[in-house]
Amino acid sequence: MTHMPQAESHGEHPPTTIREYVLIGIVLTVVTAVELWVSYSGMSFGLLVGVLMVLSAFKFAVVVAMFMHLRFENGLLWRLFSFGLILGTAIILALTALFWNDRTDIVGGVPANAAPGAAAPAKH
Amino acid sequence: MAAATHEPPPHVTEHHTTTGIDNRKMMMWIFLASECLFFGALISTYLIFQGESLVGPLPHEILNIPVTSASTFVLLMSSLTMVLAVYGAQHGRLGMMKLMLLATILLGLVFLGFQAYEFTSFVHEGLGLTTNQFGSSFYVLTGFHGTHVAVGVLYLTSMLLASQRRTGLGADRALHIDLAGLYWHFVDIVWIVIFTIIYLIPH
Repeated sequence: MTHMPQAESHGEHPPTTIREYVLIGIVLTVVTAVELWVSYSGMSFGLLVGVLMVLSAFKFAVVVAMFMHLRFENGLLWRLFSFGLILGTAIILALTALFWNDRTDIVGGVPANAAPGAAAPAKH
Repeated sequence: MAAATHEPPPHVTEHHTTTGIDNRKMMMWIFLASECLFFGALISTYLIFQGESLVGPLPHEILNIPVTSASTFVLLMSSLTMVLAVYGAQHGRLGMMKLMLLATILLGLVFLGFQAYEFTSFVHEGLGLTTNQFGSSFYVLTGFHGTHVAVGVLYLTSMLLASQRRTGLGADRALHIDLAGLYWHFVDIVWIVIFTIIYLIPH
């Protein structure tokens, strides 16, 4: 991919061509179709979650790098956005880990919001 | 007095910054980075509460994946038209920029139409904002995303209307379209994550 000459008075712009943008759009559409197929494929839950996460991360990265032009921008912007993204991901991981392992609402072996007479949950 | 004639008019004065990045672009990226935290908190809330509902409707009973896949495709295509609008602006192709901006606005409106249809059908099936924890977290997360799309549609419409009076494009105008594009693509990447977490991963 070679850098195109700068347009007369329209400032700097990335070297991507219209054809490349359309190709990226097609790739994103195909990956979305694959995601859909994977979600109906009946594979094991762990594998399915892993494959879907990788595919959506790929789409995310392609849009940020090529459509938002972060690949061609000053490295400071890349670090700035990565910082927000890492913090946002950390919030998701920390809160879900905290609440999915939360046992503080289990009183006397029975969840506080369970119906009267409900059995105690199995120990993990 | 003669020296004053050498100063460029205010509207073409370049912004020199110590980072070499235009302040407006820097501000947009800082805003988008902060939006990552905003949606991170909303996605966390959904993940925590979606499995805690004691009464239905539950996610697997109500989510319509084929319809949402169609709206996802529409939003992806709007990202493509948006990047082509930015391309038009950066290469001085005013007609292409206007056409692609209009296409992006229309695709954004179609996405909002899909969301309105989804919300309406969910309400008819008995899932309200306060029905259960899944409903509350689902509507808050997708509602805030939809609001971002609606703001984006208004933002792009203002860009399109402003460009109607123009016969040419300068670097400053191209930057405005670029900034609008950054916002629109961000809305798209947030949906990429939401679509996977809410719709594709079985509950």
